[in-house]
Amino acid sequence: MSLVLSGVQKRFKDRDVLRGIDLEIPNGEIHALVGVSGSGKSTLLRIIAGLETHDSGTVTWEETPLDGVPPHLRQITMLSQSPLLFPHLTVGENVTLATPNRLSQEAETWLARVRLPGRYNAEIHELSGGEQQRVSFARALAASPRLILLDEPFTNLDPELKYELQRLIRDLVRELGLTALLVTHDREEAMLVADQVTLLEAGRVRASGTPQALAETESTFGDFVELDGKPYPSLHIEVTDSPTDDAVQLVRSFTRFGHRLGEYRRKQGDYVILPRHESFRDGETYYLRKRQGGI
Amino acid sequence: MSRLLVAGLILFPFIGLVLAFPARFDWDEAIGNTVVYVIVLGFVNVWLGIGTAWWLMFTDSKWKTPVEWFTFLPLFIPVLASMFGMYIALAPLGLVGTHIGVGLVLLVTTLPYSIRLAYNAMYVIGRPLLEQTLTLAPWSRFGLVLFPLLKETIRTIVLFSTVIVLSQFVLVQLMGAGLIPTVTTQIYQAYAGNDVSLALQNTWVLILVPVLLYVGLGGLFGIWIRLVKGRLQ
Repeated sequence: MSLVLSGVQKRFKDRDVLRGIDLEIPNGEIHALVGVSGSGKSTLLRIIAGLETHDSGTVTWEETPLDGVPPHLRQITMLSQSPLLFPHLTVGENVTLATPNRLSQEAETWLARVRLPGRYNAEIHELSGGEQQRVSFARALAASPRLILLDEPFTNLDPELKYELQRLIRDLVRELGLTALLVTHDREEAMLVADQVTLLEAGRVRASGTPQALAETESTFGDFVELDGKPYPSLHIEVTDSPTDDAVQLVRSFTRFGHRLGEYRRKQGDYVILPRHESFRDGETYYLRKRQGGI
Repeated sequence: MSRLLVAGLILFPFIGLVLAFPARFDWDEAIGNTVVYVIVLGFVNVWLGIGTAWWLMFTDSKWKTPVEWFTFLPLFIPVLASMFGMYIALAPLGLVGTHIGVGLVLLVTTLPYSIRLAYNAMYVIGRPLLEQTLTLAPWSRFGLVLFPLLKETIRTIVLFSTVIVLSQFVLVQLMGAGLIPTVTTQIYQAYAGNDVSLALQNTWVLILVPVLLYVGLGGLFGIWIRLVKGRLQ
């Protein structure tokens, strides 16, 4: 096993965020941590990266404890929701900074790998959000990491770009034989990108397995939908054409494991994946409500 | 019209100064002391200010709140009030009348502002971006990213500490026990003694030191950033 977490606990003031996490991730695996906001998934990632300390338990890589090892000596890189590029440097300089020998040729190669060839001297503000995220990914890979942590890196992207980048990252991580840990609250994303999935719920591991296995056994596989300020498992929510206070727009229809699903955009701008009626059409407006007549 | 009035008010004192540019300029102990205090305190303020702000930004320590309060103290307690406390504390240690004593008092006066300036700059840059630098070795972190990002803040800290150091008369006079001459302490004596030539010379030192330091630092940072970018090309 490459990355092993054993009994990891973390408390913030009066709240237990992680309540004894045990997790083993073999070399070369893309592993997804799925859970709602506040389930502790990002805190766990920050602990692995060395940006946060844990109260008890151990984190080891190849049987070497990481406790007390500063972030720059862990050979772990992290990709966040925002690109977080340094504004005083050009696109290429941001990537060169991360390469072990500070070689601009290496940075050029990485930029080409993320489909940004010839953009070395471009200023950061000249790039779109998606392009900036690709630069950020190139920077993460250029550091020659042994583990790459992906903290909801696709959240702020529009659906088209999101799918393009998901595939790009998945394919490059596989090709390079890296170990990756992806944090997401999006079931579809975990299914697309990950080999294995761990469901986190209130700081505990609820279930682990392949995306396919979990899709069949876990009705709450990552997807919670907030309604009236409270999170509900997606199984408890239905989409209807009868007007309610929660209007959504169907942006994409697809089928997974025989289930007809839709990606719906909410008024606040976030996306939810929920079952879709055969008559539903892309671009049309529908409504969310609690499922009628029980589950 | 109002712009002309404001410009006139700002420029008015300088017209007299320009007309009375000192005929002689003699380097003396007071100028030497002043320049050394300005440079040393500027350096220490940048070092401790950024270091403490960085600690405040990332720590979960129970000391975080008291340190934050300390950085607010100068806003509540006038320097003259806290000065007597420092005098009473430093006198038994034999630091009154010494360069270390004067330096310490000037540092205590300037450091809280420097911490606050650096902390505010880091707050604006944001913790997530600063955390990105943690994956770099310490030298690269500071040299290639933090200093270029904080360059205007560093210039402001140096300018601020310089102006405070240059304007402290009572502090230096009391803690230095009259044994440590600086441009500020000398200028009052020059005015009192009607030594116009010395007063003008010292006035010009007070003007030139911060201006030269600010412009010089700007130039140094320009060169530094060109070197950083050259290293990454």
